[in-house]
Amino acid sequence: MIEHGPLIERLLAGDFICEINDSDAHRRLSDDQLQEKLNHYLRPLNRRLAYNDEKSVYFLAYQELTQAAREHLSSQFVLTVQSLLPILEWMQLIQETLGRDTALTAGDTLQVQEFILKTEDNHGLRQRFNQLATDRFFNSKSEALDLQVKLVFNRLKEHGYLIQPHSDRQYFKITGKIDYLMDIIRFIRDEEQLPVADEPTQEELI
Amino acid sequence: MAEVKAGLASNLFAIGAERLALLGKHHKVLMQAYLEGFIDETALTDKALKSLMAARILWRPDEQQSLTLRPLVSELIASMVADENRRQVNADVAEKLEQIHNRVQAYKEAQHQGDYLIAETQLQRLTEQVHDLSGQFEEAIDSLWNRLNSDFGFVSSLKDKIRENQRAQQQLRRLLDGLELIDFSQLIELAEGNSQLRKLLVSQLQLQASAHHSSLLEVQKRLIELLAKFRQQQARSLLINNMVAYLRQHPAYRPANYPERTQVPTLFNLAASIIPAAGIALDKASDRQQLSHLVHQLPKINHQQQENQQAASFTELSPLDKEIAARQQALKQDVESFYLYVAEQNQPVSAYQYLEEQQLTWDSEIWLYQVLADYQSLPQEQQQMLRLKNQETPVSAMNHLMLISDLHLQLR
Repeated sequence: MIEHGPLIERLLAGDFICEINDSDAHRRLSDDQLQEKLNHYLRPLNRRLAYNDEKSVYFLAYQELTQAAREHLSSQFVLTVQSLLPILEWMQLIQETLGRDTALTAGDTLQVQEFILKTEDNHGLRQRFNQLATDRFFNSKSEALDLQVKLVFNRLKEHGYLIQPHSDRQYFKITGKIDYLMDIIRFIRDEEQLPVADEPTQEELI
Repeated sequence: MAEVKAGLASNLFAIGAERLALLGKHHKVLMQAYLEGFIDETALTDKALKSLMAARILWRPDEQQSLTLRPLVSELIASMVADENRRQVNADVAEKLEQIHNRVQAYKEAQHQGDYLIAETQLQRLTEQVHDLSGQFEEAIDSLWNRLNSDFGFVSSLKDKIRENQRAQQQLRRLLDGLELIDFSQLIELAEGNSQLRKLLVSQLQLQASAHHSSLLEVQKRLIELLAKFRQQQARSLLINNMVAYLRQHPAYRPANYPERTQVPTLFNLAASIIPAAGIALDKASDRQQLSHLVHQLPKINHQQQENQQAASFTELSPLDKEIAARQQALKQDVESFYLYVAEQNQPVSAYQYLEEQQLTWDSEIWLYQVLADYQSLPQEQQQMLRLKNQETPVSAMNHLMLISDLHLQLR
């Protein structure tokens, strides 16, 4: 187990392990035997290994839902719900600004400078980004675009949605946690029967 | 009879060669017409236009329209440059099979009558037709692969990509149906005992048909996979857009509290983080040397008792002064926390970004000024332990007064 020490430490720290942020660990975690061993190890800590349906991300869940665990989950859930709109709006804005045809997916690379350049010259995008950056979730106090952009990207990095492969280079990669966010949205939509479709309507098909 | 034929052939040759040369002679204008959809009539003389029309290279679809390339010429260009937007896939097999059938009959009749020269020509044409049939599949498969490998990059929107993919799948189904039409037992019967016919119609064609069949199935598999990917991307975009719209319309919307359910859905069961901590333990003798090495590496600090540097002592303070002093103190404390934060980091820390991230309410100018003031009030040796970098720009090209917009600090 000693060779999995660093991986266990990352999981304990609350990291989401995906193919983008650690392809080797992600591959190892798909092994049933290792999963069993990890769960055995984590049991006294009231933790177990969990993953989403597509197994694109692995994270730690509570083994037993004690009162303290539930309290933690509840407060975390409130934060997650609050973060939905800002993150989704950010995804929309990136897609539009960079002229992408498809929604952001794990593994996509984002150039900060490119985003700044394209936002700078477009009044509408600039305004929308300003609004997003000053949202409670990102909470930028600055007026300067480049500082706002850096803050927003850094915040998303802290939350595990982005990784910065080189700390001195201004480009980021989308992690598998974005898949997790999509899963959450689908779950809430299905559970609450929200009128939020993800299939094109007949008119749109024509 | 043979003379007439030779005359006809030489005539055909002359006309064909002349007209092919026309294509080369006007290649730029014709290519422009391919791209623009009509010909620039001013670029050519009347005579040239007439000869191009006579050669059936150009035509006027109706009187109001301008001259344009004949569909066959456009098709030829599309196939030559693999322009998937315009390339035609011909899936009509029945017609070709009929031609082959007729040609075999004509060949057999000529042989029966002992006219070997004609029989020879018929066999030649038959061979061409069989190759043509196979070439048709090859061309179509090439076009399909081309579209697949470019991820349908020749159309820009995802919706168009999905439509193009569906169209390609339909073409593919027609091609597969076409292959089904080739009935080898019928062809065996047709070839009878003739070894040349057997070779051409049965063994050769069968080999090609089965190769095409497996290529088509492979393409089909890939097309379906790609379509699924396109659809997934489309679903994701729609989900994002519709969810954003919904949340914007219902700002007060809150989903049920899933963590309170008896069965918490896995997605919401995110355990709190645990950071395994460890401290220095002196109970292991073998580690001592390394520990003492670490201790020696710590920067030495001369604990000089700071003299009372309070510049002014406030004996009697007005309430306003007290408030200012309190704010001053709070600012100093925040700056101190900033320095402590810097000491914990292994990389340069931007003072401005820290201000933003910690959501401190200080004016950025005052903040930077205080950070700098604190740095300068440090004893020399402590200053040396920190690396300070000003991010500054001149006021203008003329005025070289430097304005500091940010400070970066790092522990050495």
